[in-house]
Amino acid sequence: MADLIQLVTNGLALGSVYALAAIGFVIVYSATGVVNFAAGQFVMLGTFAGVTTLVTLGLPMPVGYAGAVALMALFGLLFYAAVYLPLSRSPVVTIIIGTVAIGITLQNAALLTFGSWPVRLTSPVEDMIVEVAGAVIPLHAIAVVVATAVLIGLLWLLLNKTALGIAMRAVAQDVRAAKLMGLRVNVLLAFTWVLAAVLAGIAGLMLGPMWFADVNMGDPIALKAFAATIIGGFGSLPGAIAGGLFVGLAEVLGASYISSAYKDLIAFGAMILFLLVRPQGVFGERIQDRG
Amino acid sequence: MRSSLPLVAVLLLAGFVLSFTASEYTLRLLNMAVIASVAVVGLNFAFGYAGLISLGHAAFVGLGAYTLAILTTQAGWSPWLAAIPAILGTGLVAAALGYPLLRLKGHYLALATLGLNVSFSIVAANWIEVTGGTNGIARIPGLSILGHDLKDERSFLWFGLAVLAVLSVLALAIHGSRIGRAMMAVRDDETAAAMTGINVTGVSVSAFALSAIYAAVAGCLFATHVHFVSPDDFSYAHSITHLAMLIVGGEATVAGAIIGATLLTFLPEWFRIFGDGYLAFFGLMMLAILVFLPTGIMGLLRRWRRAPRPGTAPHGAARS
Amino acid sequence: MSSAADGPITVGATVPTTGPLSLTGKQYFNTLTMAEEDINKAGGINGRQLKIVIEDAGASNSTAVSAFVKLVQETKPPFAFLTSYSTQNLAVAPEVAKAGIPVMYSGGADAVAENGNSWMFRIRPADSLAGRAMAQFATGTLKATKPGILYIQNDFGQGGAAVAQKQLEEAGLKVVASEAYGQNDKDFSAQLLRLRSSGADVVFIFCYPADGALVLRQAKALGLKMPIVASSAAFVPAALQLLSAADLDNVWGVVDAFVDPSVGGRMKDFAERYKAKFGTDADPYGLAYYDGAMLMAEGMRKVGTDPKALRDWLAAVKEWPGIGHAYTFDAKGNGVHDLAVVKAKRGTKALELVQSLKLD
Repeated sequence: MADLIQLVTNGLALGSVYALAAIGFVIVYSATGVVNFAAGQFVMLGTFAGVTTLVTLGLPMPVGYAGAVALMALFGLLFYAAVYLPLSRSPVVTIIIGTVAIGITLQNAALLTFGSWPVRLTSPVEDMIVEVAGAVIPLHAIAVVVATAVLIGLLWLLLNKTALGIAMRAVAQDVRAAKLMGLRVNVLLAFTWVLAAVLAGIAGLMLGPMWFADVNMGDPIALKAFAATIIGGFGSLPGAIAGGLFVGLAEVLGASYISSAYKDLIAFGAMILFLLVRPQGVFGERIQDRG
Repeated sequence: MRSSLPLVAVLLLAGFVLSFTASEYTLRLLNMAVIASVAVVGLNFAFGYAGLISLGHAAFVGLGAYTLAILTTQAGWSPWLAAIPAILGTGLVAAALGYPLLRLKGHYLALATLGLNVSFSIVAANWIEVTGGTNGIARIPGLSILGHDLKDERSFLWFGLAVLAVLSVLALAIHGSRIGRAMMAVRDDETAAAMTGINVTGVSVSAFALSAIYAAVAGCLFATHVHFVSPDDFSYAHSITHLAMLIVGGEATVAGAIIGATLLTFLPEWFRIFGDGYLAFFGLMMLAILVFLPTGIMGLLRRWRRAPRPGTAPHGAARS
Repeated sequence: MSSAADGPITVGATVPTTGPLSLTGKQYFNTLTMAEEDINKAGGINGRQLKIVIEDAGASNSTAVSAFVKLVQETKPPFAFLTSYSTQNLAVAPEVAKAGIPVMYSGGADAVAENGNSWMFRIRPADSLAGRAMAQFATGTLKATKPGILYIQNDFGQGGAAVAQKQLEEAGLKVVASEAYGQNDKDFSAQLLRLRSSGADVVFIFCYPADGALVLRQAKALGLKMPIVASSAAFVPAALQLLSAADLDNVWGVVDAFVDPSVGGRMKDFAERYKAKFGTDADPYGLAYYDGAMLMAEGMRKVGTDPKALRDWLAAVKEWPGIGHAYTFDAKGNGVHDLAVVKAKRGTKALELVQSLKLD
């Protein structure tokens, strides 16, 4: 029993990070139709934004975190202007390859800047643990799950209760209609990229203390986020959350109860199965809406 | 499109002429380019002809290469003999996978095939008894023709160019045939194609299986050229590269596939002179090509030759 | 080569300087540069300067092969260094035979040496040797009876785990659990808990640096009490910097060599100069290439730069005193036959030598 609690908590913490990465991916997809293969590099950059402010500059924690998030917002804006805008009218394949190309550049630029050594960010709740029925749970893992839940709540409020969020959703649904309504579509799209970058950045900051960060960690995270997105449903926020948690749990429980060597087949197998049987995922858009 | 055949001939001839003057290193890169070209000309059936976005092409290259590697090293078959089940088997597997998968479109299909490729890598890395696990399979025998071993880069290149020539002509012939036109009809408008009596699923699956057969040929060439296969030679990153080659080459043509495959094989090697940051440059360069040459190198060539005629550039499979 | 009898001797090296493998690659990039400087400062090779040309081997086999072929083509070296990754070594092996120059490599997989390629010389312990050393230490010194294994799913981990399992079974011990994890995995709770519930009284870990450090941290966090015997990579500086002293409690490392100034003599000199020059601590991978370069230089002083003569000289090397090991190349080109068991001093991260294990 203690083992099961342990595994479930670890799976949820892992899944929370996947979920946040998946949400960043989904927000961009819903608003712009872009399948962002550089999404994993966004998370990697988030961690290294934290490394820059907290370790290199040695800023105190609240300032450092705020600084890292600000850096990511800036990055999102830059990405919008330098990558999204030039590619926005291209066919879907060109956009896929384009985001892969910029992903290669980001990863190698990070290697040049930060080197190949893995780094460890310290957590505000470093080394604190909670024992539940014999399971040892790091406070940081709980904090990650809680922070993810809070972020998702805020995101929901933003998208459903604020004028900005409602305008964003209008753009996501129909750009031309949004333009006719007098919405400043470009500003809203830019904000979407900023939001995605910030969310990925926060995911990066949270995983820094849990795992070690290195400049090559982006792509594996992106793959899991893709699987999460498909399982939960393309373009759906609740789907991204459910998918992320599912992938995290499948990874940990699958390794324990099925096979540690083949555990990743569960997530990707489920992803393919969902595509075949229920391509709209658990919560997703109806497939004829797009594609 | 009609102009593709002369251009393909010029490209292959250029490769042949280069084979006499090029250094060993360039010859090796040319061989890699030819092998990639075979794979990408194949991918063109799926993407360029039928509009299917596949990010799992490398898995089919790998399936072909592994089948040949296993049959030659463990069962002692000659590579020529082993190539037959490697190629046909891969085609059958692709057809079997294609039936359920190809109902998906656009990025759904892209991510499904990506998942397929990741799954292939996991199995290749863990089914140790058969695949040798992550250590891969070494000492794969090379090809020989009439007692002449294709051991050196130059004679392998001649053979590779011959294979590429045959497969390119075949691809062009299919393009002009009824089935090729059916593929493009499905790409351009599935509903309309179905209404004219085209079996949409059958045509899509044929295109997918054809592309996998070409991939398997590339895999067999790869295995007999490098004499070593391991899972990371066929990772999903290679699938993305294949698609990138097709896009960079441009206009979903056979000539474009060969140009793109060659360019993206050589580019990272040329960029080595930039030192540590060379892959960062490579990424930027690719982005620049996509942004400034949306119809790829082929589009550029066309523009050089004559003023652009409206509507001649088939925009790949802009279906999303 | 006689035409340039006074010019520099150019030697090639393929080193991963991009991608995930560059973490370890950087170490021997550094030590090769350092060896080049040291050799030239000491008068070069019979009066000729040494020049080591380095190409990126990247993270894929084909990049490694291209890098090697490029080097051979452009610099016509009489000798070259390959990377520390077995699959890259295996992929490059046919090209080495074609080029007909001796090379030193440090991938551990036994398969590389089984290729029967007489041009290839290994300057690190083979994985089977490391596996045997780990098994011997755990059964002999730790008196373990129920070993468990945790390994990374790559050529190194799969090979090492297989050898250790075979060794342990030959010694009459049953491996109670053998668990794998992916190269990019971040959570090992499932594997670690299974090892614990299997009743393992020692756990062997075959790892790379960052994941090794993460495994050790999570093992402590989960409260695993049994001793852990980890492979070399968990004790390289890149991994140690990620760990706290507590993470290393009850953890032994079976490492290629004990690289630490406290050893004294030439090791002290090497370790201190490395740290001063590059700002980080040296590791056994870097040392292997430093020793390798010195050995190569000695060979060239004795028999010149004819590749065949150099190969024959290397093949006959017996007990050559490097800093990390006494190198003797056997019939398969394996040069290293000993490993070191290290442990952190209680409550610190400072390593000390527990014992040296000589095998064969």
